Amino acid sequence: MRTVLGLLIVLAVFAAARAADGPQKPLGDVPVMHEEAEAAGIHSVYDGPWEFFVGGGGAAFDCDGSGFPSVFLAGGKNPAKLFVNRSKAGGPLRFEEKPLDIGADPKLLQNVIGAYPIDIDGDGHMDLFVLRVGGNLLLKGGPDCGFTLTNKEWNFDGDPGWTTSFAAEWEPGQKFPTLAIGHYVDRNAPGSPWGTCQENSLYRPQPGDRPDYSVRTPLAPGFCALSMLFTDWNKSGVPSLRVSNDRQYYRGGEEQMWRIEPGKTPRLYTRADGWRHLSIFGMGIAEGDIDGSGYPEYFLTSMGDEKLQKLDPDEAGRAELPVYRDIAAEVGATAHIPYTGGDKRPSTAWHAEFADFNNAGLLDIFVSKGNLEQMPDFAARDPSNLLLGQWNGKFAEAGDEAGVAGDRKGRGALIADFNLDGCLDILQINRGSDVSLFRNLGAKNGDGPPLPMGNWTEIRLVEPNPNRNAVGAKISVKTGTRAQTRTVQVGGGDASGHAGWIHVGLGTAERAEIRVQWPDGEWSASYRVFANQFVVIDRAKPQAAYWYPGR
Amino acid sequence: MVRDKEKPTIRRLTGDVGDMKRGLGVSIALSVVAGVLVAGAASGGSWDERVFGSHVDFDAVASAGPAALTALIERGRELFKAKFTTADGAGRPKATQAIIPTKRKSGINPPFSRTSGPDSNSCFGCHNDPIEGGSGDDIANVFVSEGFESAQFDNIDPSFSSERHTIALMGAGLVELLAREMTADLQAIRAEAVAHARVTGEPCRADLVTKGIRFGWIEAHPDGMVDLDSVDGVDADLIVRPFSRKGVFTSLRQFTINALNVHHGMEAVERFGVRWTGSHDFAESGVPDAITPGDVSALVAFQAALPPPTVKADLPADWRAAASEGAKQFQAIGCVSCHVETLPLKSLVFTDPAPYDMAGTLRASEAKALIRIDLSTFPFARTLQKNDKGEWLIPLYSDLKRHLVVDETVNALGNELQAQRFVERDVFLTPRLWGVGSTAPYGHNGAFRMLDEVIVAHGGDARFSRDAYLALDPEQRDSIVAFLRSLVIEAP
Repeated sequence: MRTVLGLLIVLAVFAAARAADGPQKPLGDVPVMHEEAEAAGIHSVYDGPWEFFVGGGGAAFDCDGSGFPSVFLAGGKNPAKLFVNRSKAGGPLRFEEKPLDIGADPKLLQNVIGAYPIDIDGDGHMDLFVLRVGGNLLLKGGPDCGFTLTNKEWNFDGDPGWTTSFAAEWEPGQKFPTLAIGHYVDRNAPGSPWGTCQENSLYRPQPGDRPDYSVRTPLAPGFCALSMLFTDWNKSGVPSLRVSNDRQYYRGGEEQMWRIEPGKTPRLYTRADGWRHLSIFGMGIAEGDIDGSGYPEYFLTSMGDEKLQKLDPDEAGRAELPVYRDIAAEVGATAHIPYTGGDKRPSTAWHAEFADFNNAGLLDIFVSKGNLEQMPDFAARDPSNLLLGQWNGKFAEAGDEAGVAGDRKGRGALIADFNLDGCLDILQINRGSDVSLFRNLGAKNGDGPPLPMGNWTEIRLVEPNPNRNAVGAKISVKTGTRAQTRTVQVGGGDASGHAGWIHVGLGTAERAEIRVQWPDGEWSASYRVFANQFVVIDRAKPQAAYWYPGR
Repeated sequence: MVRDKEKPTIRRLTGDVGDMKRGLGVSIALSVVAGVLVAGAASGGSWDERVFGSHVDFDAVASAGPAALTALIERGRELFKAKFTTADGAGRPKATQAIIPTKRKSGINPPFSRTSGPDSNSCFGCHNDPIEGGSGDDIANVFVSEGFESAQFDNIDPSFSSERHTIALMGAGLVELLAREMTADLQAIRAEAVAHARVTGEPCRADLVTKGIRFGWIEAHPDGMVDLDSVDGVDADLIVRPFSRKGVFTSLRQFTINALNVHHGMEAVERFGVRWTGSHDFAESGVPDAITPGDVSALVAFQAALPPPTVKADLPADWRAAASEGAKQFQAIGCVSCHVETLPLKSLVFTDPAPYDMAGTLRASEAKALIRIDLSTFPFARTLQKNDKGEWLIPLYSDLKRHLVVDETVNALGNELQAQRFVERDVFLTPRLWGVGSTAPYGHNGAFRMLDEVIVAHGGDARFSRDAYLALDPEQRDSIVAFLRSLVIEAP
């Protein structure tokens, strides 16, 4: 009798423990992500043969001075397209395709893998770095969303190859950005594709009054880089270049990080530097400071093996060594198999990005997913993840409830506030089908209309040239005892990037104090701002200004 | 949202109201409020110490319309006077007084702390002079700290906190309505300037003037940028915040939620609940979801419906004459440049939730329906004058604007060392002088026993009036005191 009772107690405890150990349910707001690509007027399909199994990105940026982000979308074998944002603040999303005339052969807009916005020449118009199979494009932006091919003028040979990743930074003393370009398989190498990853490249601007990318520095060995990101991992003020590599094709490869010091030859972090071997199907890097430590954490997408890396408190010292620990499991962010739909084969994850989708003041993680093509060992129906940050430091899956869990082959993604209502929206590029455009309507409210979510701020930094958009700056937003950090970056994800308003959720805070560490390392004084405003911080001015949409 | 424990409170509530009011309308109200106060399982005896035998259901009240108002206000009065108990969730062992939910770094709060709070068992504990909802004596002063880092500060050094005298809440609904209309005006001016600049391609300067009060100016640029450097006396988001000494709270609802937490350790679900903290009991008081949105609404309704102060009716002849002269002098020496006699109000319809609150205070867009309190139906409305536009003239003697009240030589009011919510230490909202005759001591921390003393302490923006006051002969100065002392709070 006593034994049976004991067993029942043990079983009860075990059951309770299992319940406690199960996936956490989101406790805060779940955003309603309403898919409205067709109604918004966006039709773009990323497709094509093997070369376009990967990639599938785009760029979101303000190309007409309206403050609303427009989008440039890769099409693979299909031509890339530009859609100008015609939405009204707080309203449904509306885009209008603008035919691209880049002053060159229109075929150059085919075979596009992805794109990143960056104002290379500092003229106030966003330019585009366009990743291609073949040669890459530098498209100089002009007024009214016009673009002109500028490879020749800027002495850029296109760095031919199969380009699958890109990142950029402004090194000290340089007028123009340093460009890092990551390649995939060298299809012409003997034995291709196995063990034939093409080496990567670094282009530092040459002296002069206009961009000059005539000198290439190899980043070798290359291990089929699907994502790159300049990151100040140790708060030294000198960003390093993280590279996430696809183990499918390399031999003896691993994840990489390059030491990129001004005027010096790039050098890989090695075992002697503390760098640890990690081999994954690396597809996308995302950076975010989820614990408020000031040191970034990294989400690395892969196939059934996503990583969330945090500096190892025991072995990294005070960020003296780049030793990372995978905390994905302990915080519920493994996202390794589909969470709905019944397919329990491993997931294939592509784009990842930290952002606050419910304005709780906590970072969430969006992960786009989709089978490579027809890989039988991996989930065929592979819903994208919306992992909502929780107050206990964990993440809770809300993709299904939010509405992003459709049957799509997701690739790159653009996370931006497309209708400037303070809530982040998602444009997901899909392989073989139209893009998905999810408008964030607000918090799920049973069967009722969505509710407004937490407070927010959206920030734009301005400083004198060079680097007028302050790429590399860190923004610290303090509310109460908490400080949230955002970094202005060009790179990462899956061949997708955005520029413009930097969104920070504020939860219940009505006010925030913002400090900026400008790219040269200088900290600003504190800017006091009220919630639910678009804030422009101009380094030359003592006070922040507010900005208001014109429509 | 609604959590209830017992029936006796419902009976007690309805019985109290029944004692006050009679008639069919009241019967309807009682039946409605009985419908929104749902009994729970736990039951105490009729001597139960707890305040919350039941909670108000916001949605039910809002949908019930005017029929529920009388009882809602009465429930608010009960809560205003209630002494919250541990069983109600009073105290915040693991949370600070901060308005953003903030955990203590370590240790636990004692049940009461005169400095960081909880410092009062009830709203009435401070707001009781001369009647409920009024001001308080110096003993009821509170110590304001942002409370993010220093939850356990244990002294009243101004380095750590700012001492504040209790503000009377009479006429608070009218005050909030004025602020709402002013906010709407200012934000409309901004929107118009932004639109004009975009259309013309030229910068557009716009004066921020509402109800005759000037809040500086802005300059909108064609690209949508707005320069805020010359905004004066109001926050940069152009929301007029009429509550607190510094003018930093937007609405009675926001003020109520803040005060419940700071002073009583009673935490409202809409700020401290699971939606924003991941916990039903953020303060670890042992009572989950202690204050529902409906409870907050009851307190808001009670405060919003408080009649405004009045002019003392039974003045002796000498006082009446002196007060009449004093009113003229008050105007002549420029006191009215800030202590504006009346502000015009277009509508007396008070809605809850308020239109300009942000997340953490229930927003109008979060409610299925609003609670609507038409203050024009209250007896006090008959005492209000109207202007030729049909607007109600609210005699609050304030411009609802912040001013610098300190200068190099007159700085007795500049005795704080901390800014509060972006408002510098020597800048304060123009106090409303209606009822000032009933709310001694004076000044933001009640440091002045006599009206003459606080008038003489005015510096900064008020220096010219203060100097003019000193230039008057003693009888004229005394007449101003007579005038101010005639502005009183009296039981209706």
